Amino acid sequence: MIEVHGLTRTYGGFTAVDDVTFTAQAGRVTGFLGPNGAGKSTTMRVMVGLTPATRGKVTIGGHEYRDIPNPGRHVGVLLDASAQHAGRTGREILTLGAKTMGLPSSRVDEMLALVSLSDDEAKRRLRNYSLGMKQRLGIAHALLGDPEVLILDEPANGLDPAGIRWMRTLLKGYADRGGAVLLSSHLLNEVELIADEMILIGRGKIVAQGDKKSLLAMDSTVSTLVVAEDNAALARAAQAAGHQVTEAGEGIRVDAAPADVSRLSIEHGLVLTDLRSGAAGLEDLFLELTADTQRETVPAPATGASA
Amino acid sequence: MSTPATATAVNTRTIDISATPAVPMSRLISVEIRKSFDTRAGRWLTFSILGITVIATALGALFFEESAQDYVSMLSMAGGIMTSFLPILMILLITSEWSQRTGLATFTLEPRRSRVVVAKFLAGIVLSIAVLLLGASIAAVGTLASPVNGGSADWNLTWDPIPSFFLGTLIAVFVGFAFAMLLRNSPAAIVGYFVYSLIVPTVAGILAYIIKGLEDVIPWIEFNTAQAPLYTGDFTLSGQEWAQLLVSGTIWLVLPFFVGLRLLLRAEVK
Ligand SMILES: Nc1ncnc2c1ncn2[C@@H]1O[C@H](COP(=O)(O)OP(=O)(O)OP(=O)(O)O)[C@@H](O)[C@H]1O
Ligand SMILES: [Mg+2]
Repeated sequence: MIEVHGLTRTYGGFTAVDDVTFTAQAGRVTGFLGPNGAGKSTTMRVMVGLTPATRGKVTIGGHEYRDIPNPGRHVGVLLDASAQHAGRTGREILTLGAKTMGLPSSRVDEMLALVSLSDDEAKRRLRNYSLGMKQRLGIAHALLGDPEVLILDEPANGLDPAGIRWMRTLLKGYADRGGAVLLSSHLLNEVELIADEMILIGRGKIVAQGDKKSLLAMDSTVSTLVVAEDNAALARAAQAAGHQVTEAGEGIRVDAAPADVSRLSIEHGLVLTDLRSGAAGLEDLFLELTADTQRETVPAPATGASA
Repeated sequence: MSTPATATAVNTRTIDISATPAVPMSRLISVEIRKSFDTRAGRWLTFSILGITVIATALGALFFEESAQDYVSMLSMAGGIMTSFLPILMILLITSEWSQRTGLATFTLEPRRSRVVVAKFLAGIVLSIAVLLLGASIAAVGTLASPVNGGSADWNLTWDPIPSFFLGTLIAVFVGFAFAMLLRNSPAAIVGYFVYSLIVPTVAGILAYIIKGLEDVIPWIEFNTAQAPLYTGDFTLSGQEWAQLLVSGTIWLVLPFFVGLRLLLRAEVK
């Protein structure tokens, strides 16, 4: 539904978005992930015509954004929830959107209810909104026109845990009904639960894309973290079977699949107290893929617990 | 990338826009008008323009020389106040989109920015006319009230000054609009406008006083000076005065307007 072709945006000599190509399909949630300054927001601004592209183009449902009449009815956009007049009330902000799109004011009430902003809160001015309330209002604004496509820049930013869960359900349901959802984040675990497809971007370039499975398959190392009552005995058995063994926390790391380690323990009558995959999870993969684009150097993962 | 498995999934790759009408201009205009009143700052601006006019008119009705307590004097005073402040109203219509960052919403809901610009301009004109009509009524009340301490209400308004006053106000709001598009920042555009309307003509006057021969050149290059004949004498312009208005107007209005428009249509909104 959203198709990005060879999109490049430069600022002077600096390339913020570098030849980016991807598709966000209808009926799916597409996660757009990358560290700070990777070019996510810039890409999204270009999508809706707020920032001109230097090269390349974006079509939404086959059209350039500016050719879509009354685009709020087709594409819901949340780029920055605080980019509203601080002196307007929440309700007024939604009312302006509804009026522009030609929607009845009842739609405003529906959206306020949907994002759980009370009547009283809707009467407050935006400058008195908490971060999460602004975010809820921004989501309500994006959904006003009942669009087929949603473009959301860090929608979970500032939401409480219940809010994040609510948003996941909302977006998932939205995609299930055939909508296309593109949402950006720097937090992988925020997205991996709902995204059917993930686009990883670092320093303006796409470093990987695919669904969770195919991304994980990029990590070819097989490894198991295991704790046995007798770690030393298990280590000897594993080495005898030709596996590399290293000490890891309370137990050991074996470069074999968990099933193989389990089989080994049964064969040798060893009791295990913990057994899990030690393969790098998505989080590690993400950090690794974007490593040369990170600001901080991230220490190598000690366990696979974050997967 | 996998391709959608079912035919319906393939169909949903495009959005059918044939049944969606564009946002009509009338709706864009009414939203823009609403936006200039739905914040305290916006309401405050309009009401203070009217408030200052009321106060000035009341003072005029009481303290002007009795021969000057006529409708035309009242009207030119009210008009003077309005032409100084209405451009601010115009400026904020544009610059708040950047200064308050509302442009993100405005320009995603109507990505054809030229339509937003037209809507804002027309909204500004509607507001200006409404405020001017109120100003004319305030001046009328002032004239009615002028006999309270002597003198008589003198309804000496003829048709002559009306087109000139109107043109002067239109020029003022147009200049404000042009500066706003050029600078896209509320304080910068407002300060810029007052430098243009107050400081530049004053400096030009002083320079004309000290440098011989400059006096004849200034109306050609200083727009405010060129507009003076609109408000003085018989309110009509001679051929040369029209030419001066045109030449100085090109420098101070036409040029900033088109450069500003071009910048606004291409500027990044963030
Ligand atoms: N107008 C501009 N002039 C110069 N550089 C810019 C401009 N706009 C954006 N950039 C740069 O482009 C890069 C990408 O910025 P962008 O906001 O798209 O990152 P992001 O992926 O959204 O980051 P974050 O996760 O922190 O929101 C950054 O290095 C930013 O400084
Ligand atoms: Mg960003």
